[in-house]
Amino acid sequence: MAASRKLMSIRRDWRERDVRVVLAALMIAVATVATIALFASQLQRTLVTSASSFLAADRQLEAENGRPIPERWLDEARNRQLETGEMVEFSTMVFGADNFQLVAIKAVSNEYPLRGQIEYQREPGQPRELVSQGPAPGEVWINPRLLRLLDIEVGDSLEVGNLQLTVSGLLVREPDGGFRLSALAPRVMMHVDDVQATEVIQEGSRVEFVYLFAGEEASLESYYQWLEPQLEPSHEWEGVRDGETFSRSLQRAESFLLLGGSLAVMLAAVAVAVASRQYALSQRDTVALLKTLGVRSRGIGNLYLKRLGLWGLAGAAGGLAIALPLYWLMSRILSDVLEREVDYQLDPAALAPALLTALVALFAFAYPPIRRLRNVPAMRVLRSQPGESGREALPDMVIAVLAVFGLVWMYAGDVSLVLALLGGLALLLGTLALLGWLMVLSLRKISGGGNAWRLALVGLYRHRRASLSQMAVFAMTLMLAATLILVRTSLLADWQAQLPEDTPNHFLINIAPDMVDDIDDFWQERGQPLDTLYPMVRGRLTGLNGDPVREAVTKDEGVGALNRELNLTWMDSLPADNEIVEGEWFAPDQTTGVSVEAELAGRLGLQVGDRLTFTIGSEKVTEPITSIRTVQWDSMKPNFYMAFPPGGGLEAMPATWITSFYLPGANKSALNEFSRQYPTVSVLEIDHIIQRIQDIVQQVTQAIEAILALILAAALVVMAAVVSATLRDRQREGALLRTLGGRQSLLVRSTMLEFALLGLFAGILGVVAAEAAVWALQFRMFEGQFQWHWAVVLPIPVFSAIVLALFGRWQLRPVLSVSPMLLLRRLE
Amino acid sequence: MLKVSNLTHQVSLETDTLTILQGVSLEINRGESVAIVGRSGSGKTTLLGLLAGLDTPTEGTVELDGAVISKLSEDERAKLRAQRVGFVFQSFQLLPALTALENVMLPLELGGVESPGKKARELLERVGLGERLNHTPRQLSGGEQQRVAIARAFASDPVVLFADEPTGNLDNRTGQAVSDLLMALNREQGTTLVMVTHDERLARRCARQFNIEAGVLSEPNVQRVAEPVS
Repeated sequence: MAASRKLMSIRRDWRERDVRVVLAALMIAVATVATIALFASQLQRTLVTSASSFLAADRQLEAENGRPIPERWLDEARNRQLETGEMVEFSTMVFGADNFQLVAIKAVSNEYPLRGQIEYQREPGQPRELVSQGPAPGEVWINPRLLRLLDIEVGDSLEVGNLQLTVSGLLVREPDGGFRLSALAPRVMMHVDDVQATEVIQEGSRVEFVYLFAGEEASLESYYQWLEPQLEPSHEWEGVRDGETFSRSLQRAESFLLLGGSLAVMLAAVAVAVASRQYALSQRDTVALLKTLGVRSRGIGNLYLKRLGLWGLAGAAGGLAIALPLYWLMSRILSDVLEREVDYQLDPAALAPALLTALVALFAFAYPPIRRLRNVPAMRVLRSQPGESGREALPDMVIAVLAVFGLVWMYAGDVSLVLALLGGLALLLGTLALLGWLMVLSLRKISGGGNAWRLALVGLYRHRRASLSQMAVFAMTLMLAATLILVRTSLLADWQAQLPEDTPNHFLINIAPDMVDDIDDFWQERGQPLDTLYPMVRGRLTGLNGDPVREAVTKDEGVGALNRELNLTWMDSLPADNEIVEGEWFAPDQTTGVSVEAELAGRLGLQVGDRLTFTIGSEKVTEPITSIRTVQWDSMKPNFYMAFPPGGGLEAMPATWITSFYLPGANKSALNEFSRQYPTVSVLEIDHIIQRIQDIVQQVTQAIEAILALILAAALVVMAAVVSATLRDRQREGALLRTLGGRQSLLVRSTMLEFALLGLFAGILGVVAAEAAVWALQFRMFEGQFQWHWAVVLPIPVFSAIVLALFGRWQLRPVLSVSPMLLLRRLE
Repeated sequence: MLKVSNLTHQVSLETDTLTILQGVSLEINRGESVAIVGRSGSGKTTLLGLLAGLDTPTEGTVELDGAVISKLSEDERAKLRAQRVGFVFQSFQLLPALTALENVMLPLELGGVESPGKKARELLERVGLGERLNHTPRQLSGGEQQRVAIARAFASDPVVLFADEPTGNLDNRTGQAVSDLLMALNREQGTTLVMVTHDERLARRCARQFNIEAGVLSEPNVQRVAEPVS
């Protein structure tokens, strides 16, 4: 290989310790950022499709007036390249051989579901299968509970109206099932073509025609534009709803991943900066020699620029080689949890930040010290020249800091995140300056001696510039790692608090007013007390301050509340997890006013004092808004947009009652008894949904732990980079100390102490700065309450002290194993 | 060939200015061998750096092969070095990651010479290292490393060779062998040799000797002495 080409080869570079650190830092940066970005984009897509599968489509059109929509509406959708499907929902009695039961029928077309899958079982006890099509004509799938209620088996026939259908399977879960309180259980699923023959649906029957649409977002939008003018009030166009149960969990996980990615970027940047500065210093002799051999400044600049380019390529390739299998593994885990295939897709938009990170890290951090190599005087070959002062590096640092924060901004798209991290860093550097001053003041008077402590303190003082700059890097690294650990801890605690062990997992709906007390007693006797029972009245919001609400509310786009019937209730006390953000909760004997959920109020622009008119059946009720409150939609308890006081205008309306409660799996048989005793009450079982959410949270937690491990690896690389930067000096010093008669044990103890002190100070600084950053972040990103995290905070300085002491000991190895004279000559 | 007039070099310290060289003038003809002898700190290494164009003087001029190098830019001086100057250093200054052969090839490649390997191999054979072509500096003794450095110095066919204490890091015998080699090659190639040393014996092998003391240069015995045959 030609010598000059060899000078340029990666293999040769790899033999140099500093280059290895630069390359490792680059690879970790690219790997972390790419994995996180790919996984985050996967989560995003999963989020959308999961939410879509709650509708079994991207959009639904419901006709609540009991009439199908005109056929040309569907033709138009198909013309616009949209997939369509249809279903008919109604309640009716079905008959087995001996028993009968009120069921909720869902009759579906061949296309159902357009999104998501149906989970079904051929026989009780057989494995569950995921299928993309409902039962064929002539067949039904039924809720497993119906087997017992009707005393039938799979293969028996079931009479629906005038039609005999064969039970061919058990319906375990429908993709659009779980969450709609209007749905009635238990469920029977049949084919839509059989509906006519049952003759159940007569003029005036309560039946809902639902149409499914799926396709490109733009086509859906333009179709809705076309459709909207023709819709009647009984038509409801539904998209993916906000506040769906676990979308928030996933969104927070995504925020966390983005934060993790940003921190990885910063850590890697620090590692690249430290290592390349060190590399540049070690290259000065080579550059001086090349200059005496006649290479010009420009030639030197080009040589190193090419080398940087090579590193960039190697770092990016190596990083991707780590990231892709890791991402594959993560998406496998995700698809296991979701029990469906997730597409393994290499989103180029997600890869771009990773490559950009490599580029910025190289050119903002590695290039400046290397560029200055051009100015190394040739005279250096004869006599070493004064080293560069820190002053010329200052503008580079400003550029680099701006670059990395720009990168974080671009990456996480969140100014407050950037500001929180910047603030934490500023605090850290300020404290560090103070600490440096104190160190000079307090350690100045200590002189060396045979004592390890004194030697350690003298060491800190004599190398105060190096000590402080090392401390800055360690503290910064620890701050970033601690920030992530803290956020992770509070995130997990938050999730656990969100779905505790006894989260209600069953809803009882359609309770007639005169049954309320009996049902309460029924469950009380069986040791499963009900949560609060709420009355529920269905009504539409139709007027605001005397005007029709569609005219009064200008930003009505996407406001589902105007399109569908709302569940209205009355209650005397505010539910524990609701919070008043404006106005006052009802006074004890107050009978007027209405309390509105905060997000809806925000979207509709409602204020305390506005007068709302509700249409309930043929009646109208008008009340002023007296309070606005937040609601925990994912609490698994009945939640209401609109709450009235007891004794108000709502009490005169026909109401049914609703409640939720926790029923452990072992007691599920009590449901059969309950259903026989109260056949008109609908039971909504959401235990499997809760289980699913808990699974997802657990798996996402594992993904987060994996990311955390990656970040901590990056932190260790940074530490190694910094420590190795002083390797030669330390070794020479150690050798000298030994030449002058210092004992090995003294050398070991004083070095370990010096590093331990460095680690301890850096740890304390880093943790304090991390708490400050988390304090700022908690408000914006994770909506939590701030508290000190002693259990997390205390171990970090101790840990960093121990790790650094071991690093120090490790550095001394060569000093202890060979004769000092030999070492001095080798290090010359 | 090499003409120095009234060269002065000063270094600014925090409190005052230190004069390292003062009014140095000398003239060296093509093919001559010259030794500059002085104690540590006398300014001899600084002078060598200025003569070779590795640094620029505070005052005075250095003219090398017709070019006033003290007036050239850093890049122009680099070009001049690449074409006409060779170096041998006290601490060898070989690149540790390259083999002996590659170290010698380096200046040839920088000068755009075709098939640099051939000439490098010949030179290494000439200095007696034909068997050690693929060894890295760490695998070579001090004397061997300096021989590689000498081979490298002559690789670009320089008109002038600067040597800074070429035997300073070597024991007597090895030093003797290395200086023999240096002198022999110098004669064969007709190169001008400027050597800085504190070794009187080595200095006496050069045609002219200068003394330098406290930055002032003098030529004590202006007599042409033929090199003794060793």
